[in-house]
Amino acid sequence: MTQSSSYPPAAEASSAPQPAASPARYPAAPEASHISADTLDMVGLLAGAHHPGAGAVVLFSGEVRNSNKGLAVNFLEYEAYIPLATKLIEEIVQEARRKWQLHIAIAQHRVGKVAVGDTAVVVITASAHRSEAYAANRYIIDRIKHEAPIWKCEHYADGSKEWGNNCNCHAVTGDASKHIYETQ
Amino acid sequence: MKIHVYAKLKDYFQPEFELMETIGNTDELRAVLVKMNGGADELLSSCRFAVEEGFIDKDFKLKAHDTVVIIPPSSGG
Repeated sequence: MTQSSSYPPAAEASSAPQPAASPARYPAAPEASHISADTLDMVGLLAGAHHPGAGAVVLFSGEVRNSNKGLAVNFLEYEAYIPLATKLIEEIVQEARRKWQLHIAIAQHRVGKVAVGDTAVVVITASAHRSEAYAANRYIIDRIKHEAPIWKCEHYADGSKEWGNNCNCHAVTGDASKHIYETQ
Repeated sequence: MKIHVYAKLKDYFQPEFELMETIGNTDELRAVLVKMNGGADELLSSCRFAVEEGFIDKDFKLKAHDTVVIIPPSSGG
């Protein structure tokens, strides 16, 4: 489901001089690309994230650690309610694009088995200056982690498994739909 | 009413099942599910509900032919 070919290649994006980018030339990531059962194409996504109006590109890669809570982790398995996760991530990305006037905003999350060291989620943001790209990137990943209906199951080396690290904001807010973000 | 559950809720219920009871809203649905499996009570209290690919709140009027998706707290990333 990874569709990095939908983005303009780096060479095309860097040909100068160019006027301000139009939405048609640099489209938002297609909705279908937000959830992928395949390995995320980090190189392809980054190659397509360059833009003549962007002086900063920030890439966040959420990767699988080899341990959690003192236990050795073999791999993670991600599950998603894909229609709603896709819709929600698209809304988050579009909101970030508007709020920080991003030239590029990409977010993809894996489902299925993800090995230690592999990328489970990637967010790429490109903007005129780095402060906007950093802030938008943090905003997108925080909201995805709290709100998108995606779950990870940790499979440990001892053979046990556990659905892990749930958002527990409801314990503070009293509402499963209200969240507290690290950046607040 | 068809019910779909995800993640840890599958430790308590089949991933998909059907309820024949008359259920008017999410509070009533939660009560029916707790009656089916009391061990899921705490988890269900932190879940969100969705119908037709959109979140619903407790005032949403459920219908017999609805498919309700029960969504535990997210743990992506």
